[in-house]
Amino acid sequence: MAEDDADIRCAGGRAPDPLVPGGWLEMREYGEEPVDFVIVGTGAGGAPLAARLAEAGFSVVAMDAGPFWRPLEDFASDESHQSKLFWTDDRIVDGDDPIVLGSNNSGKSVGGSTVHFAMVSLRFRPDHFRSRSLLGYGADWPIDWREMWDYYREVERVLHISGPVSYPWGPKRPRYPLRAHPLNAAADYLARGAEALGIDWAETPIATLSAPIGKAHPCVYRGFCVTGCSTNAKQSALVTWIPRALRAGAEVRDRAMVGRIETGPNGLATGVHYHRGGQWRFQRARAVIVAGYAIETPRLLLASATADQPDGLANSSGLVGRNLMIQLNQAAWGQVDDEVRSYKGPPSLAVSEHWNYRDEGKDYHGGWSYMSQGPLPVTWAKTLAGGRGLWGRELLDEMERANHSVGLKMVGEALPNAANRVTLADETDQYGLRIPRVTHSYSDNERAMMRHATRFMEDSLKATGARETWREMGDTCHLGGTARMGFDRTTSVVDADCRSWDVPNLWICDGSVFPTVGGVNPSLTIQAIACRTADRIVAMSRQGAL
Amino acid sequence: MADRYAHYDVLDKRDTPSWNDKTRQVIDARMSLREADAGIGEARLATLRRLVSRIAPQPERHAPANTVALLAHKIVKDEGEGFRPATLPRLRECWLRGLDAIEAEAQARHGRAFAGLDAERADALLRGIEAGETQASDWIALPARDFWNWRVIPDIVSMHWSHPSLWSAMGFGGPASPRGYVRLDVNRRDPWEAEEHGDG
Amino acid sequence: MRGRSLALPLVRILLRIARPASREARAATFFTGGAAVLAGSVLADSATEHYRGSFRNPAMVLPLLSASASLIINGGGGSFSRKTADVVHVAAGAVGLGGLGFHAWNVGRQTGGYRLGNLLYKAPLGAPGALVLTGLLGAIAGALRESRAGAVVPRLVTGRAAGAVVAFGLAGTVAEAGLLHFRGAFHNPAMWLPVSIPPLTALSLARDVARAIPSPATPYLLAMTATLGLAGAAFHAWGVSRNMGGWRNWRQNLLAGPPIPAPPSFTGLAIAGFGALLLLKGRTHG
Repeated sequence: MAEDDADIRCAGGRAPDPLVPGGWLEMREYGEEPVDFVIVGTGAGGAPLAARLAEAGFSVVAMDAGPFWRPLEDFASDESHQSKLFWTDDRIVDGDDPIVLGSNNSGKSVGGSTVHFAMVSLRFRPDHFRSRSLLGYGADWPIDWREMWDYYREVERVLHISGPVSYPWGPKRPRYPLRAHPLNAAADYLARGAEALGIDWAETPIATLSAPIGKAHPCVYRGFCVTGCSTNAKQSALVTWIPRALRAGAEVRDRAMVGRIETGPNGLATGVHYHRGGQWRFQRARAVIVAGYAIETPRLLLASATADQPDGLANSSGLVGRNLMIQLNQAAWGQVDDEVRSYKGPPSLAVSEHWNYRDEGKDYHGGWSYMSQGPLPVTWAKTLAGGRGLWGRELLDEMERANHSVGLKMVGEALPNAANRVTLADETDQYGLRIPRVTHSYSDNERAMMRHATRFMEDSLKATGARETWREMGDTCHLGGTARMGFDRTTSVVDADCRSWDVPNLWICDGSVFPTVGGVNPSLTIQAIACRTADRIVAMSRQGAL
Repeated sequence: MADRYAHYDVLDKRDTPSWNDKTRQVIDARMSLREADAGIGEARLATLRRLVSRIAPQPERHAPANTVALLAHKIVKDEGEGFRPATLPRLRECWLRGLDAIEAEAQARHGRAFAGLDAERADALLRGIEAGETQASDWIALPARDFWNWRVIPDIVSMHWSHPSLWSAMGFGGPASPRGYVRLDVNRRDPWEAEEHGDG
Repeated sequence: MRGRSLALPLVRILLRIARPASREARAATFFTGGAAVLAGSVLADSATEHYRGSFRNPAMVLPLLSASASLIINGGGGSFSRKTADVVHVAAGAVGLGGLGFHAWNVGRQTGGYRLGNLLYKAPLGAPGALVLTGLLGAIAGALRESRAGAVVPRLVTGRAAGAVVAFGLAGTVAEAGLLHFRGAFHNPAMWLPVSIPPLTALSLARDVARAIPSPATPYLLAMTATLGLAGAAFHAWGVSRNMGGWRNWRQNLLAGPPIPAPPSFTGLAIAGFGALLLLKGRTHG
């Protein structure tokens, strides 16, 4: 297979224009001169920071281990091929319930996993920012929800979120920039079930265009969202923040794998060692921002241990890599007489956050939402084979009924647990770096939530006339929590501004700073935190507090 | 089961706006892969063929998928998803050892090659691996259930349902770019989607 | 062939307007012309939209038949018998009213009933109203032709009635354009035009009807509205080309993009508006 799309593309004063086939954008280059900020990772955390800091006048180099795509010409309508968007470097998974990595929780592209995310853009329930004080579990965030509400608004505007005019849950929010998409049949089944059970539902606020914006086309409902959007309707970091960052003078380095953060004798970060174009290089920087998500971020910090910081950089609390949280992704499925053909449209066009906002009637802590589903063939076959143990003739027959299958899937809050963690294995990867070991086990709280949620979703399906319902108990999605933010240096890795307690010019900004993960998809919250961090950096810089 | 989509072939859409150049390139390359070119050796290939035929049978009314070739190439190229449980080696080594273990299991149980077992015996043997109830000593270093859950099932199923014949058989719309879909409601379909025919 | 058969009635209409004739006759020509354009818009729009709906209900073919008949009758320049014409106008009214009822019923039975999502994406509540308007305008033209012979209907009454129909029709069309442009989040500033100019036109005309005196602004507003209808179709055609795959993907984009046949209904109503003005203007002499 000819894979020309594996090349370095950001070079020679230009970077690809992700919205134009064969197109280029002018790009400023800094060489290996010291820059104000080097950002490691260009996903939901790194990309907004690159744009906002460059716009504030800082010199910025943003590195990503993955390639820089032009989706219109690089993306095939094909699940297998598009696994090129996932992080497929070696990783070990263990624990009582080792987690499946790849599609649901990783990305290796400029734009990170937002290049293939399901685009669900929900705000946290305000109380979930103070779950310890208000609800008696987890940990409080050091950020007030009202401040987050403003940053959510900013991100929703940048991503042109399509959403319902009135949202049934939580404090009043401003109108979404674009109108909600029509429901597909799978979403209609969620809505009917919710109405039958007497709970609220809504069109999912979603980061794909329902009207043309700039060079981007509106969504064509092709249904391959989680394998990458070749329409560019999906408002990934690649098509939103990254072009903005380039225009503001940031440099993006694609296919640049950062292996180690260098620190000087004073304990401050001096730059990063990175592998690009077949060799190791060093980029000097006045500050380093790590935005590699919940596995690569702790991996990099742990791998950057020094004689002074032997347990890893910024790890005096011992919490780097700890409190890894997944989100529960259990489902209920059933068969209906109707042709549902859930391969059409974004997979999650309808949502209910009922159980994020209601605390009564639970024998566990935490919230969850659930959404309609639209699995593509490979995913569906793996779901049936893994979830129901089907293979052979049974699997083939079941697959041939796929157009009549309908399902609901949860995004559920797992609680922080120090035993769930990322460490370094002894084995090394293609760069000679020690690979991460991801240890995960469920607690009783998660099992109780799964039981309740799958029963509820199954009831919803049954209320719409679905037969042969079954519960998929295995899946997880999203990660968080391996470099948590908090109120003091002994119980957290970074402060509310995402600045590490131990190394004042080291910042961490991605899902790993989440003290709790809530019952909603994290991308909107990560981007909101990134915008807040950018504002805080600008403010501190003005006060001379950097 | 009667094939509900016997008259539908997703490949008929290859030259319509449902497929872009990149998709044509990727699917053409996939469908042209041959078993023999992979180079995993004839004995292992025979075991793999029998294994794939039991796990992922071919659709009745559509062209057979080259699943064995796809998987054999994946194995040789060691094209994993990266993550793996601590109990298993990397994809290539895992599969080669796993195929040998399946063969050893057939020899231990029936004194003959796995490729030569009838359907009933082959399936019983596979159910043993699925349940972790095995006889061959190969499984000591390669936990049978892990091999089954993390390699056999996901890899075979992924390769099989990456083939257009399987998409046709299930009435899946197939590639869809630049053209997606217009009619999203229950029981509605676009003219370029598969029409379902009732059983019988 | 098709081009010629469409062009012929248009030429006839233009000839009739240019020819010196009674005020009623000239007004009737405007109503007929307006009804023809409206019928054309309804025909193309309902054909597209009901094709999207796969004609799943056999009744979905009725607006196509009715609008076709209206197009022939109104575009034919009065070469049909009054009786035939009346049947077509009444049928248009009936099918339109039936459509309004059916669309309302259909939206009501969707999940969530009359929630905004259904109003935006399911059967458009107001659209069949355009067919009712087609029938009304055609019927007014017929009544005017009758009055030429025996002055059965007083000019002023007809003028006010016609003006009211046009003003109401414009208001309804504005509401529909507003709803659909809201669905598109007014992403292009030009999308505000159909909810700013035609409402002024409707108000101006309504004021003229109330006072029974045409104001000097109304003809300009009508002309702008008529132009806007045509410009709207052009804008929508451009909008279709901007969607993924452009015109090569026409089978999707003609349905998913902005509806090209919809805006000219403004043009049809504005043309009829001129007829109403003519009658109001001529209430004392002529």
